[in-house]
Amino acid sequence: MTLAQSIPTATVSESMSWVGLALLFPLVSAVLCALMAAFRFRGKGPALVTAIALGASFAVILRAYMTYSGTPVVIPIFDWIDFSWSGGGTFKSFAANMSLYVDRLTLFWMLFVTGLGTLITVYASEYMESDRGAGYCRFFFGISIFLASMTALVMSDNLLMLYLGWEGVGLASYLLIGYYYTRPSAVAAAKKAFIVNRIGDLGLALGTFLIWSNYGTVQYDTLFAALSSGGWSGADWDKSLIPYLLMLGAFGKSAQIPLYVWLPDAMEGPTPVSALIHAATMVTAGVYHIARMYPLFELHPDALATVAWIGGGTALLAATIGMAQYDMKRVFAYSTISQLGYMFLGLGVGSTFAAAYHTFTHAFFKALLFLTAGAVMHGFGGQLDIRKLSGLLKVPGFRIVGWMMLVGCLWLSALPYSAAFFSKDEIILAAFINGDRAIPALGWIALGTAALTAYYTFRVWFRVWLGPVRYEPDPVEMAHMAAAHGADHGHGDHGHDAASHGAHGHSASHGTGHGHGDSHDFHPHAPRLAINGVLVILGIGAVLAGLPNYLVMAGRESENWVQWMLAGSSAYQGAGVPGGDHSHTILGMDAHRAMLLLGGCATFGGIAVAAWLHLFSRASADRLRSALLANPLTRWIPLGAERKWLVDEFYHWVLRLPLWIGGQIMSFADRHVLDGALVNGFGKLPLALGRLFRPLYGGPLQGYAVTMAGGVALVLAWVVWMWTRGAH
Amino acid sequence: MTQALLAMAQDGTLPELPETLRAAPSGEIAAALLISALLMAIGVVGFLSRRNMIIMFLCTELMFQGAALAMVAFSRHHMDVSGQVFVIFILTVAAAEAALALGLVVLLHRRRETLSAEAWGELGE
Amino acid sequence: MMGMESMGPRLGLLAPEMVLFAGAVLVSVIGLSRSAGMRRSVPLWCIVALVAAAFVSVETWTQERASAAQLLFPSMGSFVKPMLALVGVLLVLPGIGAIDRGVEGAIASGRQAFDALRVMRGEHYAFALFSIAGAMLLCGASDLIWLFLALELVSLPTYIMVALGRGSRKAQEAAVKYFFLGALSTALFLYGFALIYGSTGTLQIAGIRDAFAAQAAGPGIDMTGLAGLCLAILGLCFKITAVPMHFYAPDVYEGAAVHVSAFLAFVPKVAGFVALAVLLGTAGWTGHALIAADGVRVAYTGLPEPVAAVLWMSAVLTMTLGNVGALMQRSIKRTLAYSSVSHSGYMMIGLIVGAPAGINALFFYLLCYGIMTTASFAALAALERSGEEVDSFDDIAGLRVRHPAVAWMLAISAVSLVGIPPMVGFFGKLALFMAAFESGQVALVAIAVVNSAVSAWYYLRLAIVPLVAPPSARSATVVSAPSRWPAICAVVCGVGSVIVPLAASRLLQASERASEGYGAGSAVAGDESGPKGSGGLYTSRLTRP
Repeated sequence: MTLAQSIPTATVSESMSWVGLALLFPLVSAVLCALMAAFRFRGKGPALVTAIALGASFAVILRAYMTYSGTPVVIPIFDWIDFSWSGGGTFKSFAANMSLYVDRLTLFWMLFVTGLGTLITVYASEYMESDRGAGYCRFFFGISIFLASMTALVMSDNLLMLYLGWEGVGLASYLLIGYYYTRPSAVAAAKKAFIVNRIGDLGLALGTFLIWSNYGTVQYDTLFAALSSGGWSGADWDKSLIPYLLMLGAFGKSAQIPLYVWLPDAMEGPTPVSALIHAATMVTAGVYHIARMYPLFELHPDALATVAWIGGGTALLAATIGMAQYDMKRVFAYSTISQLGYMFLGLGVGSTFAAAYHTFTHAFFKALLFLTAGAVMHGFGGQLDIRKLSGLLKVPGFRIVGWMMLVGCLWLSALPYSAAFFSKDEIILAAFINGDRAIPALGWIALGTAALTAYYTFRVWFRVWLGPVRYEPDPVEMAHMAAAHGADHGHGDHGHDAASHGAHGHSASHGTGHGHGDSHDFHPHAPRLAINGVLVILGIGAVLAGLPNYLVMAGRESENWVQWMLAGSSAYQGAGVPGGDHSHTILGMDAHRAMLLLGGCATFGGIAVAAWLHLFSRASADRLRSALLANPLTRWIPLGAERKWLVDEFYHWVLRLPLWIGGQIMSFADRHVLDGALVNGFGKLPLALGRLFRPLYGGPLQGYAVTMAGGVALVLAWVVWMWTRGAH
Repeated sequence: MTQALLAMAQDGTLPELPETLRAAPSGEIAAALLISALLMAIGVVGFLSRRNMIIMFLCTELMFQGAALAMVAFSRHHMDVSGQVFVIFILTVAAAEAALALGLVVLLHRRRETLSAEAWGELGE
Repeated sequence: MMGMESMGPRLGLLAPEMVLFAGAVLVSVIGLSRSAGMRRSVPLWCIVALVAAAFVSVETWTQERASAAQLLFPSMGSFVKPMLALVGVLLVLPGIGAIDRGVEGAIASGRQAFDALRVMRGEHYAFALFSIAGAMLLCGASDLIWLFLALELVSLPTYIMVALGRGSRKAQEAAVKYFFLGALSTALFLYGFALIYGSTGTLQIAGIRDAFAAQAAGPGIDMTGLAGLCLAILGLCFKITAVPMHFYAPDVYEGAAVHVSAFLAFVPKVAGFVALAVLLGTAGWTGHALIAADGVRVAYTGLPEPVAAVLWMSAVLTMTLGNVGALMQRSIKRTLAYSSVSHSGYMMIGLIVGAPAGINALFFYLLCYGIMTTASFAALAALERSGEEVDSFDDIAGLRVRHPAVAWMLAISAVSLVGIPPMVGFFGKLALFMAAFESGQVALVAIAVVNSAVSAWYYLRLAIVPLVAPPSARSATVVSAPSRWPAICAVVCGVGSVIVPLAASRLLQASERASEGYGAGSAVAGDESGPKGSGGLYTSRLTRP
């Protein structure tokens, strides 16, 4: 029995149309935010409205989750496109209605999307407060649009509405990355994200077209029915192209090789955006899409293997780059790419459960990490360079942030028995032993990557939070703040002499850090309730994300909750987990024991190296780097990693430059050849025609009458002629 | 009544219809149609060649009457009264249109002090 | 023959027209009130009447009444009447504040006493209601007299609306041209009606259809009938601004007040297309099954060859001449007039394809066209420059800076008129071209698509000039019209062009009523197994099963 056959047929339910409110609330809040911007509202209203709307959305999803009966439900909102036509050919209809498809996979995704959305909105209400006014409205408008689009993407019952949501989140992402539109780097990053995503979206669009032309539908339930009734013949080249095209879309949105380059730059956006859109939710859309289309991918083992290799490769590549970055948010961005790679690896080796579980745990701890990074950035004048921050745990008011980041770091490093450990462990395990789909080589790569992950994560934490107290604001950021918001910024004194801080490096001990009374001094300002509260909640959430597995270990549940959430959806592969029956072995040990051992070694090994190089003996880290640089055989390692393996440069020389040259040539040709020849020739043909007929319109009343009567006479004469010809 | 008439028709005892109720000979119809076509043609030619707006309007009236005459002729040909009913309506509408036309012409005459259609050639390419 | 017993149900079908007549009388009386407030309420009553008519037309329409009326298209009214009434509401708005402006201003400032002879707001709106009622009456036309009277009821009020819409000489010139050429076209189709009567011996539409079918089953429709049909079609081409009767359109649209041009671009067109559909319905398309004189069962498909050829050429010429004519205009209103001509060309494709698919697509297109063209005219009506209408591209250069809403609505309507996907115009074209494609009119579709591409040239100018071009000296002096309603109408229509597509499939379903039941009442009940899809351009097939 294939996966498609195991999906229960969806029932159409009008009575559950209240679920549509989950889509409506963010839309309403977007409209309200726009109105507040139009009326030049300066308070925190937009944040309040958005938080309430998203909270309500979460409540709706929660209620849907509580009342969900177990069989997928299609909830029609209204008929959008429903064409059918007769004639030759096999396919006679194209239906894509505004309908929601609710099954456990949908609810699972929506639960953490709306839940995290609400929390991060609350966080952002404090984080963005210095921008109150038009910017504040714009920000929450973007967030609302994002949530509405994401809801459409996840809950749609057809690929067209999914595409609509897909483009919508892309737009929101573009708008929010470019939020600080006065900064050229932010604008460039926004454009980069948009354009790189276009490449992926092209794949998604073409894949959708091919699905329609091959299966005659873009609606999930009919598509799954078509798949299960042997719609697959295997021979058609265009059918086998579908998963690769869909994959391209997923790789664009979820930042995988070769389209990952936009995500690190996307950190130009405000940190809550990085946390919500570029870490926890939007970037998992690709994972969701493949999980949703899993019955299709299942028919193409090669495509799944491709997903696995790309995922594993991305995980490793991003981890190596992350090791050498100094910008805290960029390190986390590369870690996001790397963790997304793990998810795709899980999908590729055939464990949708592992991928979904990792998405779930990752959403919490990565949002937590970004928000803590944001709190540091917010508190220390936009400073993110880990070389310029040290020992912050001793700065008053930052203790909660520091400990919460530790939780995030431990989870990212997959501390044994933490939630992230379970989920990552499942992925690596599946790579080792999951039947036909297992690719052990990728298992080893993933294990190695886990060690690297632990290293670069704790490199950040040890550098920033332990050691001697040292901090300074970011000059660029300070200049920006002073220029843009100096007057009404709550801590307007940040702007003074920012450049001098930057030039000398500002060193202060805990006791004197903010006590100088010197106006030239920089005062970190500690986060308040909204930020701290959200951090603690997310920390607890990250811990609790392991609960499903603890319950199974304690024998209280027979099945992991996440696995249960996949039941009856397109991504459900049965109750068992790989290695669950203890019949598999790795290195002669029981698979699960081996994973615990190997994973633990990787984690603690990474942490230990990080502790040595970045806590106890920071000088040796520099020595190591210069030693590597001194040796011509090894100097490519630090240089390459720091410069992101020159992928951006590669794209620039191989893709952008030729395209730019081509564009210049085209433009030249357009101006001098096409405009000259075509426009003067074909293009002017209609104009010439127009001139030809112009005299007909020039005359007074009788001129028109003559032309009309003449036309009628001509027609009549012609009809008579035709009639006589036809009659005889 | 109908039964009786049918019976009479079968017996051949149906009384002779008066001249006006019998189908006209086709020659008469053809003549009427010819005149209607002539009226139409004169109307069109007049409309195209005359510049005086009142005359032009009279020419459209000629065309209307040509159509009306054709209706009457065909009505007679088919022995069907509805064509003649149509003519009544044509006359009515023509009267309404005449009222409108005169109103318009008066309005225009006030503005330009002329009845020539050529005075109105401002619009155009 | 229709007896007295079917009068009751038929009167029920006429309820919306009666509502509009009552509204027209009411409005013309209120318009003469001494109180300025009462006079100002005229458009409101007009809208009330139209909304009531829309409501009534939906409520009173029943299958039973429709079939009692012995119509060729028994259900057409149930789509066309609400459409006319609702777009009519939008057409009322652009005129608010423009009609009687000088007189009302003088009265308000005390320079002039109220004089019932000088105000004409009441007349204007009453005429608009009469004209819309005439277009509605056409849907119920069961004989040629009715058809003729309803057509005149549509046209006569519009002549006066053009003449009185604004005080300028241009408007009067437009009225002269419109009236005289209109009278010429009326004479033409009237003569056509006479010839059709001569050929078939009846004025009943259903009777004409049966007679034509009987002729077609024999030697073919006779010369008189064909000439009559062609004359009638050409006469009606005036109403839909189709070649060769379209010449007046640019001048009249330019000369008339902009809110009157908007009215002319929609209501007479709907009327013309309804009348053409009914007339062509008597002569063919598909699905006729009749018993010929010798008792042989005959299925008759396609329009008579000469009629189809005339329509085909007229459609191609209309869309082409409309588009090339628009290319070099400096006047926006002339551009929109040519655009309206070219859209008629597209819609004629629906007439050629015929019932059911072509007619359905045609009326859906009319709805889409009504929304987007009203948006563009209303956007123009929302602006003025030193008391004059805004009419050149110079006037709207860089409009975005000072009148962003109007500029965007102009751009949206232009983009929609090109037929670019998310907009309503795209769905109209999609339905129309798909119907044509399915029936084998590939050449026609290709020509229409090329024409759409050409039309992008001038439409995009209409979008780009207000949004991108720098403001010119002329456009700096452009101000908002005194009334907000034209702008509101533009926004409603512009937003409508974006939102209506969301309900495209529902509206398409509704438009399927336009031709529902066509052919059911023929001499022998419709033979469903008859050949579907027209047999190509120049064929009128006779198949003898």
